[in-house]
Amino acid sequence: MRRVAITGFGVVSPVGNGREAFWAALAAGRSGIAAITRFDAATFSVRLAGEVKEALELPASVADIAKDDPKVGFAYAAAAEALGQAGRSSLGENSLLHLATSLEIFDLRKVIIDGRADFQAVARRSLSGKGPALQIPLDTAARIIARDFGRPEQSLTNCSACAAGTQAVGHAFEAVREGRCEIALCGGFDSMLNPLGVGGFQLLGALTIENSLGGRACRPFDATRSGTVLGEGAAMFVLEPLEKAKAEGKTILAEVCGYGSSLDAHSLSAPDPEGEGAVRAMQEALQDARLAPERIGHINAHGTGTRLNDEIEAKAIRRVFNGHWERIPVSATKSMTGHLIAAAGAVELGACLLALHKGLLPPNPSLERVGPGCELDHVTTQRRFSGEYVLKNSFGFGGQNAVMVLRKHG
Amino acid sequence: MPPTGGVVITGIGMVTPLGATAAESAAAWREGRSAPRKPLPELAGTSLQDEGVALCPAFDAGKRLGGKRMLKYMSDAAVLGCVSAREAALAARMRERFQAERIGLFAGSGLAAASVQDVRPMIEGSIGSDGAFSSRLLGERGLPATNPLLSFRILANMPPCLVSIMEGVKGRNLIFTPWEGQTGAALVEAWRAVSSGAVDCALAGAGDNPAHASSFVYLRQGGWLREAEYPAAGAAYLVLEREETAQRDGQPISARVKRLSLDACSDGPSDPLSERLGRTFAAAPAILLALACLNRQSQASLCGADGQRFSVELEFGA
Repeated sequence: MRRVAITGFGVVSPVGNGREAFWAALAAGRSGIAAITRFDAATFSVRLAGEVKEALELPASVADIAKDDPKVGFAYAAAAEALGQAGRSSLGENSLLHLATSLEIFDLRKVIIDGRADFQAVARRSLSGKGPALQIPLDTAARIIARDFGRPEQSLTNCSACAAGTQAVGHAFEAVREGRCEIALCGGFDSMLNPLGVGGFQLLGALTIENSLGGRACRPFDATRSGTVLGEGAAMFVLEPLEKAKAEGKTILAEVCGYGSSLDAHSLSAPDPEGEGAVRAMQEALQDARLAPERIGHINAHGTGTRLNDEIEAKAIRRVFNGHWERIPVSATKSMTGHLIAAAGAVELGACLLALHKGLLPPNPSLERVGPGCELDHVTTQRRFSGEYVLKNSFGFGGQNAVMVLRKHG
Repeated sequence: MPPTGGVVITGIGMVTPLGATAAESAAAWREGRSAPRKPLPELAGTSLQDEGVALCPAFDAGKRLGGKRMLKYMSDAAVLGCVSAREAALAARMRERFQAERIGLFAGSGLAAASVQDVRPMIEGSIGSDGAFSSRLLGERGLPATNPLLSFRILANMPPCLVSIMEGVKGRNLIFTPWEGQTGAALVEAWRAVSSGAVDCALAGAGDNPAHASSFVYLRQGGWLREAEYPAAGAAYLVLEREETAQRDGQPISARVKRLSLDACSDGPSDPLSERLGRTFAAAPAILLALACLNRQSQASLCGADGQRFSVELEFGA
């Protein structure tokens, strides 16, 4: 089987757009979490989010869609940056496009006419061709990217919630490794920072309501953690056969060498109490990479800042890395970006890629006192790093787990 | 790596407007019956008022799933998917014969859909005295009036995740959305995963219900549903495993999978089920495969709204 290289990476995030801005903020421990400005959230219990702050330069046709559905613009910008770094202007033959996202945006303003929620009036307006589109399907970004960067041989839209971004890259890795495609553009994009998205998550009780904490509200593994914070953004990668990329003189950013996937089959909203699914996904990724656990030099945790997730993830890490976990530094970058849901795994994989490249580990700056059961070698301030392998965990709402292993190249 | 091992289908579950089980749906299809259609009251006074949608026959989901506890988390599509998956898993004796960790789940999921009744309290609570939407009022009145379980019913990965919980499936997984080609991709991935040995067994399929009023309007508005086409609810799940495993266990084989594939189609959507069954979108490739198995049809294909053609080649024993 072929070895697989990452030759391009692009990112749009709450801490900065583009690789350099993203890394500068993460390395400095600078949080992108702040009060919601996208809409008036004054009466919401949850008033914090990781918003993308800088405007993106987008073609007019994409900007037009992004006005209604910002995540489409994030996907496009990240894809353009990734393809540009890989020296590609188009996807073309033998290519795979695999994008992850989570939920269609539902704009409540579209279903109010003359001050009433009158569905018949909305339907009549829509059917006459005068009203706005009632839905924006989740494959919209894939269709626009295919339109502007060349139609791929296969286009996939993954909706595996918080595991989706990692799953999309993991699946693309296997497709390139097995020779099913010659190039893959893959990653995740998401934004739930609209009234219904934030409101829906508020109803689920997964978000912190400690709004006064601002940028330090998301506190993975901390004893006082009280929930996650939603974020938005996108990260995209170009994957190619490593030998081919080397022969073409391309810069190899990292090698993808292992992927694991599992299901908890336990509960829709709570992880398996023993972390069985998480353990199996990590073990499968290590086995796929043919690595003993002690070879891993760094873990970027799923680390959401929710009570249950962090404790169970820490337990699972200690079990998989039994006898070694005290020496494996763990970062939790959601502390700075918030939880980007379907984009989370891809954005955090980008943090792993840059950690390998820059020889530095991003901190979890809001961690002050490790919570009971959360004991790991937590990185709380920037730390030098010279390891060869990093592992990325993504554990999703609904019980889907996805784990990847990256290797430093050169 | 191209699949090499022989893969067979040993369990089929299906709920369609033609029947509440795989056997009923397949028999009705063989007999040439068409799905009954009924207009949606929410569309009275619109140009769709006389265009019915095709809904599945009533059945007792609690009974078929062995309890009602999880039903409150389920959208209509999730109920259809879970009931189909249970039927397929029981037919294949999946849980008895395979380790949960070695069973993969490969699924499609349709467009987000909610009934008008589900979202009305939230919307009405968010309209200000000026007649416009107010996010302040949403926070103050709309959200407290909303069923907190709504998110479970609209997140796209929830229906397949409910299948994993109900059937105890713990292995590799992929979920794609929202059109036919994406479910086709999930079925191809299931076939590949079983064939390559990545999993010992795959539970694969989809449930979809585009027959809600809001979905019907959007599908027609967006050109996804042509004139004379109508949306239909439906679901199908199939159990795939290696032929030698089925033979070892004496498990009856419905069909041998010669090939499942996806390619681009440029002539626009073409769904051979649509005339008699309606457009079930994400569920259609799984229903196509299930009907082909049960009716011993060696080839079938459909071209979805996303411009991808899903093709099936099957072989049958004597």
